[in-house]
Amino acid sequence: MKKILSFTLNGQPYEVAVKPKTTLIELIRDEIGLTGPKIGCNAGACGACTVLIDGKAVDSCSVLALQVEGHSVETVEGLADGDKLHPLQEAFLDDGGYQCGFCTPGMLMAAKSLLNENPDPSIHEIRHGLSGNLCRCTGYVRIIDSIHDAAQRMKKEGGEKS
Amino acid sequence: MITNVVGKRIQRIGIQQKVTGKTKFAADLDIPGALTLRVYRSPVAHGIVRKIDTKKAEAIEGVVRIFTAKDIPGKNLYGIINRDQTVLADSKVRFIGDPIALIAAENEKSAEQALKALEIEIEELPAVFDPLEALKPDAPRIHEKGNLLFTRKIKRGDVEKGFSASDIILEETYETNMLEHAYIEPESGIAYREKEGRITILVTTQNPHADQAQLAAILGIGPENVRVIQTETGGGFGGKLDMSVQPFLALAAYYLDRPVRMTYSREESFQATAKRHPLKIRMKTGATREGKLMAVNAEIIADTGAYGSYGIAVATRAAVHATGPYEVPNVAIESKAVYTNNNWSGAMRGFGVPQIAVAHESQMDKLADSLGLDPISIRMANAFKVGSVTPTGQTLRASVGIRETLKKIRPYYEKFSREIQETQHPLPQGVKLGVGVASMWYGIGNTGHPNPSSAQVEIDETGKITLLTGAADIGQGSDTVLLQIAAEVLGVGTEEILLVRADTGLTTDAGATSASRQTYISGRAVYEAATKAKEALLKKAAEIFNAPSSLIVCDGGYFYPQYREYQKIPFGEVAKRAVQADGVIRGEGTFNPETSSLDPETGQGIPYTTYAFATQVSLVRVDSVTGQVSVIRAASAHDVGKAVNPSNVEGQIFSGVAMGIGMGLFEQFFPNKTKSFDTYLIPTALDVPEVTPIIVEDPEPTGPFGAKGVGEPALIPTAPAILNAIHQATGRWVNRLPADLETIRGLVPPEEK
Repeated sequence: MKKILSFTLNGQPYEVAVKPKTTLIELIRDEIGLTGPKIGCNAGACGACTVLIDGKAVDSCSVLALQVEGHSVETVEGLADGDKLHPLQEAFLDDGGYQCGFCTPGMLMAAKSLLNENPDPSIHEIRHGLSGNLCRCTGYVRIIDSIHDAAQRMKKEGGEKS
Repeated sequence: MITNVVGKRIQRIGIQQKVTGKTKFAADLDIPGALTLRVYRSPVAHGIVRKIDTKKAEAIEGVVRIFTAKDIPGKNLYGIINRDQTVLADSKVRFIGDPIALIAAENEKSAEQALKALEIEIEELPAVFDPLEALKPDAPRIHEKGNLLFTRKIKRGDVEKGFSASDIILEETYETNMLEHAYIEPESGIAYREKEGRITILVTTQNPHADQAQLAAILGIGPENVRVIQTETGGGFGGKLDMSVQPFLALAAYYLDRPVRMTYSREESFQATAKRHPLKIRMKTGATREGKLMAVNAEIIADTGAYGSYGIAVATRAAVHATGPYEVPNVAIESKAVYTNNNWSGAMRGFGVPQIAVAHESQMDKLADSLGLDPISIRMANAFKVGSVTPTGQTLRASVGIRETLKKIRPYYEKFSREIQETQHPLPQGVKLGVGVASMWYGIGNTGHPNPSSAQVEIDETGKITLLTGAADIGQGSDTVLLQIAAEVLGVGTEEILLVRADTGLTTDAGATSASRQTYISGRAVYEAATKAKEALLKKAAEIFNAPSSLIVCDGGYFYPQYREYQKIPFGEVAKRAVQADGVIRGEGTFNPETSSLDPETGQGIPYTTYAFATQVSLVRVDSVTGQVSVIRAASAHDVGKAVNPSNVEGQIFSGVAMGIGMGLFEQFFPNKTKSFDTYLIPTALDVPEVTPIIVEDPEPTGPFGAKGVGEPALIPTAPAILNAIHQATGRWVNRLPADLETIRGLVPPEEK
């Protein structure tokens, strides 16, 4: 029995009929067709499916779609502002925070969640913030550097605005 | 040599799409109307399939067809080196997870129900899980030819004489464990039949051309009737060299007039794909009082599990590399790959060399410790140099950077050692610090086998340049490196070259993305292809300028006669005129480094043209109360010949250190028990140290701009360096991986904690 779900995805209001057992990642990938968030384990252990709900990182494989009723969901597709990349994306590009790219969308969203809560994290805090996101290719070093760099860029941008 | 593109830290191609979520991996491909495939796998480790009744399962709504061994049109036998693996069991199953039946259904739910409704009877046979037990004459016979898959022997000099001339002899046993690749992207692909009948498969793979050849044999059709296109691949580490979903996709697409798709769950990915071979090693090493190695004798047993996969290559590589990067006049090695009913073992980053390095590097530190030498000095006293002869009788002619890596690591060894001495604050009870060093060598490419790669560079009348290569970029960055090589030769930027890669319908065989071979071998093929295309343009430019082509310069996107840059003509203009006169320019490049097969009795021969070398030092913190070991700092120096893209090389070094920490400290796969990341722990951002990557460039004359490879070498010295550091911290040796919490807690007696 499908139910009508209303929520916001990357700033766009959505109203969709979903089955009660549909997970958020299934809704995003299979129903809506955004394939940025990946399925690495489907068990909440690898973080490849990380999205933000109201600005906080969650494993979208471990949340039912109906749980986001009335909430705001953000995926990697919503990170850039049109053609303008988010400072996190720019830093990942400039600092080489990637290899195969499969974990990258989840890493970026975990990083955004971290910076939402703590705009100026130490390296230690970044490591903790990423501990739920697995990467087998990079050894994490450059991902950590990229996030640190992004935080500095965002501080500077924020500073210029004020 | 001054280069403009090679040696530069240019950004990866395609990475913009990766950070915006636009990159399509196989599971992201939209293919309307595709059927879902699922495999029924053996619940027993060894048995004979007596009955398969599909009737009930086929009656389930949404089930389209169920395939068994009898449906396979060609040969139901495949494997990269020795063919011993069935697509669907024809009679025997040899491990828990062996495929028996394939279900094609309209949706996941129907497929799931069909799996439960299949009636399959298996007569269970006695199984064997220990390779030593499997070698006994009365052991259950897993394959018709017996349980010994392969033996590699290497004999050089006289080990008994070598031991007689030694002042110190150490004999030890080592054990490494079964590991899972744990790339984050599970196996996935789609397939369909084209209008003309060709079966097309888009799949995550390291090996598109080998997939094509194997699938054609399984389907009993010509390879021209199978097209394999590599999708963006989310890591491989050797685990995507063997086929996974490919035969199932091909079989279903062959029979059904519908597109099909298949993605392994994480559990299936763990269960159904290759593992790292666990090795049991007995190693006896003799040396003089001064630390000069005199003899090495080793016996190696590799558990290849139910199938051969790359077992022969792993047993061979472990034997060939068993001495480490050192001169040893007397060597006797025997290395066996043995079948058991465990998960099958195959290729994993380093093919047995990370395992054997644990043995030879522990032996070096044990010798140093007994003789009162420091770990760098004992390695330097024995390290290869130009002119050294390897255990297979090969004289090393060039690009032997091991000594340079040792020199580069010494300051870090001293710095880390000072850091321990200067640690002012008292450490908590039971906590100790230690520094450990390890070196390695690694032959680039297939061992003692031909290793060809090919590539083409095409230039059309508009000056558009296309590079065609069969090399699969699996995330390590070979696309960018190959473009850099072509761009350097042609005097243009990488953004001016269109890349067509890893599509058997459009590109020729470049060999597998394995054995750290793509930069060196495919890179050289690309270099040759670009050089030939450039020669055609130089000829035209020579005509235009009425000057000998040897005096024409091709640089910065222009051609001009030497010393007459003011006359320069754009690259595109020369291309246009050349194509108008002679048709599309197509430079063909091939490269096959010199190798010779190894003698079956003595192992003498040329396994590889060139080797990578490395030395790593680690500073670790050992808590003997909790058992926790943390790597605090690491520095790793790698002789890569020439870093075509230094940023890529460093990326590999960071990656290898992390994977080596997992291998050394906690990763452990238990057949039929390990099913998820909850029990198979891989390093997280909390586990990795501060890493200093150091690039050493001792150019390889046959490599493109001197380049060799680094993908696997990056991993190899990590685990042994950690073990040696644990010894320095605790005074205890760990001979068995992983050095996990229980091992470390048990290592230090309570009174010393």
